[in-house]
Amino acid sequence: MLYETLRVERRGPVGWLIFDRPEHGNAMDARMMAELEDAWPALDDDPDVRVIVNTGSGRAFQTGLDMVQLSKDPETLREQSRRTKHFTLKLTAWHNDVEKPVIAAVNGVCAGGGLHFVADADIVVAADSAAFLDPHVSVGQVSAYETIALVKKSPMEAILRMAFTGAHERLSAARAHQLGICSQVVPADALRETAQQLGETIAEQPSDHLATIKRALWGALEDHRSEPPTPESVIGEPTS
Amino acid sequence: MKYPELETLKLERVGPVGWLINNRPEQLNAMNALMRDEFEIAWRTLDADPDVRVIVHTGEGRAFQTGVDVSELATDGVGMERYRESVEAWDLHFTAWQNDVWKPVITAVNGICAGGALHWVAEADIVIAAGDATFFDPHVSVGQVVSIEAIALMKRMPVEAVMRMAFVGRYERMPAQRAYELGMISEVVDPPERLREAAQELAEKIAKNSPAAMAATKRALWGALEHGLTDACRAGAKELVGMWGHPDQEEGPRAFAEKREANWKPLSRDAGGADRRGGAAGVDQSTDG
Repeated sequence: MLYETLRVERRGPVGWLIFDRPEHGNAMDARMMAELEDAWPALDDDPDVRVIVNTGSGRAFQTGLDMVQLSKDPETLREQSRRTKHFTLKLTAWHNDVEKPVIAAVNGVCAGGGLHFVADADIVVAADSAAFLDPHVSVGQVSAYETIALVKKSPMEAILRMAFTGAHERLSAARAHQLGICSQVVPADALRETAQQLGETIAEQPSDHLATIKRALWGALEDHRSEPPTPESVIGEPTS
Repeated sequence: MKYPELETLKLERVGPVGWLINNRPEQLNAMNALMRDEFEIAWRTLDADPDVRVIVHTGEGRAFQTGVDVSELATDGVGMERYRESVEAWDLHFTAWQNDVWKPVITAVNGICAGGALHWVAEADIVIAAGDATFFDPHVSVGQVVSIEAIALMKRMPVEAVMRMAFVGRYERMPAQRAYELGMISEVVDPPERLREAAQELAEKIAKNSPAAMAATKRALWGALEHGLTDACRAGAKELVGMWGHPDQEEGPRAFAEKREANWKPLSRDAGGADRRGGAAGVDQSTDG
């Protein structure tokens, strides 16, 4: 697939998935949603890619659905609504069952649906100029999937505050770092190099171990109740 | 809307913000049997008032709240036995969560927050505190078990800090600054006297948002504490879809485009949604182990 709204490239063992609609705050239009569904599995299947970094071009990281464009494309909007309703989205690495470690490198504003890509990443690093906000309720929309995952991964109060203050407050990169929503904050011009280095460090580990660990740890966010996971469900069926 | 006169609590409305104020300052706002009953009246009153978009809960005097009124328990010959039935039946009504309040709730901790007071920290949406507020849990120091409030706290913040508070009892206090570092609260207000002003400002920001969208969001996010990630998302889908076709979804973008304040539909008390304690809406329970 020839990408128009994403840049997908490889530097050493690190695959890069870069949102590339900088003049639209990297918002997701119909084209980008289709490309995401293609690009995540492509990177996951590329044997030369061991770790994936997700970032954005320009000033914003990602600002959610491009409702201006989507309102002119009723067919895509209908399909997106169907996927929202049935929770069959294909936007993030988690949605696309990516097995490799994913680092979100938040280069600027991350708003609303952009939080999907923070919530569903394994590791999050951010530029000092990055900011997080969730304007859904300020435009009459419900915030759910991305903030549910963030509640699972972070101190809840901060996420509730972000969800309820909507467009009227932003969480700074520094505060996100204190709260453990991201693990590293660097000057904006050092972000990509930082992410690349982190990716290379992780890439030194055997890929199958990383995939096993990822499956086990995300399983901890699920509700297994009284039925503990079997060894097979954690480490996978033996391959012969 | 005219609010009932209560003996142990004060109710008032300032603009879109409903205030629930613990008002037994001489007893450090400890909860006696009357206060316990009045809490239910207070939450239901503020929840039913269509002019109230956001609720702030705070206390009079130097304490926010200090749990059950131990002197009443020790002197009236009934003691904790009077609460046995309601606790065993899990039929409690002194917090917003227990009363199914789906408006945003801010707890503004104005001073000492001890023991049972942690219920209103654990079960609020947003918590801010005065710079001189302190948090501790003396239950085990007076031979009592701490469970419900600490369990809820563990779901929403780092567990270690809650366990330490539970086991150290009255011999250590967590300052507001540490609670902020841990993400237990999101704002420390200094000077402490400015707490109510800060709470009102925060509440007014939140009151600018769609009441219906916030109620559905609140149900979806509290569902994240009830279910695993995938199940919570499936339950959240019901809240997302439930908002489709609501007038606020047209009004929000229109107001944004016209650069004006949105004119939201007021929230009605029975506006759908999943029952908090009734399991996941839309989740197939047959898949449970």
